[in-house]
Amino acid sequence: MTVDSFRAFLRRLDEADALVSFDDPVSWDLEASAVTALANRSDGDVPVFESIAETAVDASLVGDPYRGPRRRPWDHLARAIGLPTGLSGAAYYERLIDRLRSPREPRVLERDAAPCKDIVRTGDDVDLLSLPWPYIHRGDGGRYSNLHTVVAPDPETRWGRWSSHRMMIHDGPFASLLFLAGEQVPNRYYYDYEPRDEPMPVAVVVGAEPVVQCTTEMWIPAGRSEATFAGGMKDRPVDLVPCETNDLYVPATAEVVLEGRVLPNERLDEGPFGDYFGYMNGPRRSMPAFAIDAVTRRTEPRVPFCVEGTGVGYGRNSGSTLQLAAAGPDATLGLQAAGFDVEAAVPWRFTSRTVWVIATDRPYPGYLHRLANFVFTTWGMLHIDFFVFVDADVDPFDPRAVLTAIALDADPDADFHQFGVERMPKVPLNIYQTPEEKGSADVGTSKAKTAKAYIDATGDGDRTDGTADDRRKRAQKRLVTAGMSAARFDLLDGEGKQR
Amino acid sequence: MIPFAQYVQGLASNDELLSLEGPFDVPPPVIAAEALRANGPALRYERTDGADLTSGAFSGPDQLQRRESAPWSRLALGLGLDPEASFVAVLETITQLGPTDDRPEPTADRQAAARTVDGIRQLALPRDADDVWPALTLGVASVATAAGTHWAPVHGAVIGDDTLRVRTPTALSSLLDGGTISVALGVPPATVTAAYLLAVRDRIEVPIQACGVAERVPLVPTNGGLVPSATEVVIEATVDDRNPDSRSDRREAWEYGTESTSMALSIERILATEEPVLPFSPLERPLSDDLQLTGLVTAATLYDRVDDYWGISPVEWVQVPAAAELGICVVATNVLYAGFEWQLANILFAFSSLFDTVVVVDDDVSPRDLGRVLGDIWLKAHPSRDWIFSEPSAPMADRPRYRRDGETGSRLYVNAAWDPRWEDAYIAPRVAFERSFPASVRDDARRLWETRHGGPDDGVRDDA
Repeated sequence: MTVDSFRAFLRRLDEADALVSFDDPVSWDLEASAVTALANRSDGDVPVFESIAETAVDASLVGDPYRGPRRRPWDHLARAIGLPTGLSGAAYYERLIDRLRSPREPRVLERDAAPCKDIVRTGDDVDLLSLPWPYIHRGDGGRYSNLHTVVAPDPETRWGRWSSHRMMIHDGPFASLLFLAGEQVPNRYYYDYEPRDEPMPVAVVVGAEPVVQCTTEMWIPAGRSEATFAGGMKDRPVDLVPCETNDLYVPATAEVVLEGRVLPNERLDEGPFGDYFGYMNGPRRSMPAFAIDAVTRRTEPRVPFCVEGTGVGYGRNSGSTLQLAAAGPDATLGLQAAGFDVEAAVPWRFTSRTVWVIATDRPYPGYLHRLANFVFTTWGMLHIDFFVFVDADVDPFDPRAVLTAIALDADPDADFHQFGVERMPKVPLNIYQTPEEKGSADVGTSKAKTAKAYIDATGDGDRTDGTADDRRKRAQKRLVTAGMSAARFDLLDGEGKQR
Repeated sequence: MIPFAQYVQGLASNDELLSLEGPFDVPPPVIAAEALRANGPALRYERTDGADLTSGAFSGPDQLQRRESAPWSRLALGLGLDPEASFVAVLETITQLGPTDDRPEPTADRQAAARTVDGIRQLALPRDADDVWPALTLGVASVATAAGTHWAPVHGAVIGDDTLRVRTPTALSSLLDGGTISVALGVPPATVTAAYLLAVRDRIEVPIQACGVAERVPLVPTNGGLVPSATEVVIEATVDDRNPDSRSDRREAWEYGTESTSMALSIERILATEEPVLPFSPLERPLSDDLQLTGLVTAATLYDRVDDYWGISPVEWVQVPAAAELGICVVATNVLYAGFEWQLANILFAFSSLFDTVVVVDDDVSPRDLGRVLGDIWLKAHPSRDWIFSEPSAPMADRPRYRRDGETGSRLYVNAAWDPRWEDAYIAPRVAFERSFPASVRDDARRLWETRHGGPDDGVRDDA
């Protein structure tokens, strides 16, 4: 059974001994994120900070709740949606894709039935700083919320558009939202609301149930609703509730909901921030101002956050896990639905938003180019720079296998393909462009364009070592009997039995 | 000098060895391959029939996860270093095993292998799932000439109780005037490393009396040439045939960059220790011992050649990772001036034919952080400006699987280092635990984590 709320997810982690609570006061000022960074880098339990010093509201911080175990990062999310743990990457993708194939319309609750309305503050009673937003890295421009769902209006769906844009806290009723032109919600703001000098109603939903957080990270095409895919993933409808001060609907079991307006032609400082690339992203720029009209929340809210960037190349946190365990299955489904014969589209775990690995058959000449072009011009135009194509029998979840395919099968002479030279748009978050190239505050785009490329690391034949699976399974069982953990092996389940 | 049997004991006391008791209904090479694929420990196969075997003794986990141990940690132990020795210390130690300007005086000791074995089948060398014959791997061939003793890697198959078919570097074969050769199995780690080094450097003609290894490893004479006194099994043989049919043989990794040749050997005598323990490598499997050894000696060779090449030493380290099956070279360097990375990449291409892709990263990247390299490739390198392809006139590289027709092609270097022309203000600071939190916060965080969690602090836990 899929959990209905973020706190139910935490209980499920606790039942699985994957949670560790800190009762002593912990500061939001770097301390909570430092402990979380330790947890992330040692593959430790998910930390919950029950007592946050110098915070008016009795609230907890939760550090990277979606980070899964190193070997199977999707395991915690599998727990959240009632799938077995110990699934291989391919099996997990298959199960999740099955769910996503059957979207379900959400259910609308009355306000008094929605836990996110336990406490409602509007107008002058709104005080963002009463909540324990973490200051995540030394050098960040301020305190941030970076694991939430931005709900924005969408003329094509009743339920609005859900997406992820980090938010820097300013003071009582103000924050800035990182709106990068080229993404759907920012585009609506920059090219629709702002030219009309009209504020855009927005809700920032913190601590939504896991399926909401997952679909927020997915590449849902225009005209389709994340809320319905969340219902599919949940296998029953997601509960929504109307906002207090605008016409948007928000997930009813969320921990905190910030209702407000993104003001036209008003900017606030944003950044720098230690971003998912693993480097401090600068310069400080101006981003649209988010004026908060209402804060609704549960009692003793749990506020999740992500320590982005720590451990360059090894960044295993909520952000990278959600890419792997949510965006990946969705992209796989999307490519299959578009008629491409892909086994799986998987983010490259070392740079999960910049490079994707796609295991695929090649049914006809030119197929890879067409496939890359499809993604670059639909979903992946801003963040993704590279696709690495591997054969359908190469495990895209195994970075060693993918690295080997790149090293041995990608001919520099024939298998590296660029889409023009520096003709394509790019978010200014990357670090290979100079600050000057990244551009100013103008709608958050780069001045400089970039190149996109794909690498054909497919081979010309069977790359398996020829050992039959039954023999490999027996070898793996033998090693488990001798003392190795069954979790290490791809053909056994967690108890060492054959899959 | 550490004898192989003692080295295996050292691995056990270092929690780097897992023992399995025979009999084995799955071929040991299949088990070895699974353990390597899972980044497991070295294995010892305890058998009542035949010699005990080990696999993974010269390999180690890949670097695609954060780990306490590095792929070279086990070999470091075998070379007499601390397992936590720096990567460069391992490379320099390997280099010192090879040709040297000094002529060390070899020392002699009592031969450990004193028991005569009637036939090689008694050793029960392992046979892979689809192999017809048992395989001999990680051996050292010893040949005596007027100049001294020459060592080279050797592997092959047990064709009969007194017949071997082996492959060695062609350079060794050409030294075989008298037709007598010894094959040493279960040699001290320094010995097999030196043999690989000489093969990769194409310096087989240099006698071991002119190599640093002679200073470290006590030797004894055999019918072929000198072998380490602490060798588990010595096979004395004569050459029957210089060009036997060997199409079914798998290759050891050194063969990708070194010309090799087949020989059929007639076994004259086998000497063994009382309870021999022999290493083997599951050939052509990921992370195998022979891949790791070849990658490390190649890296040592490249590092040695670029070190001080410019009068100073801007290069921090060079790697040819086994995790990429030797198809990529990574170099961490201070980019001295614009264009330096081009020079460096092309020097590396000139010194090795294994790969035709070089990745240049900044000198602050740790050699233990292959994950960071695999991040920086795509983050610091502009997709059009920093992926630099040569004209398609370069010779075919030896390790990749593409373009096996001998045609020329392009080489690639990826410049994933900061551009030295950039002002410091353009250089994005890294996000890391040590950099993103002040010392006092780090200390508090460690204390909190250790107190409440009870597990490692910021330690990098190996897989259970």
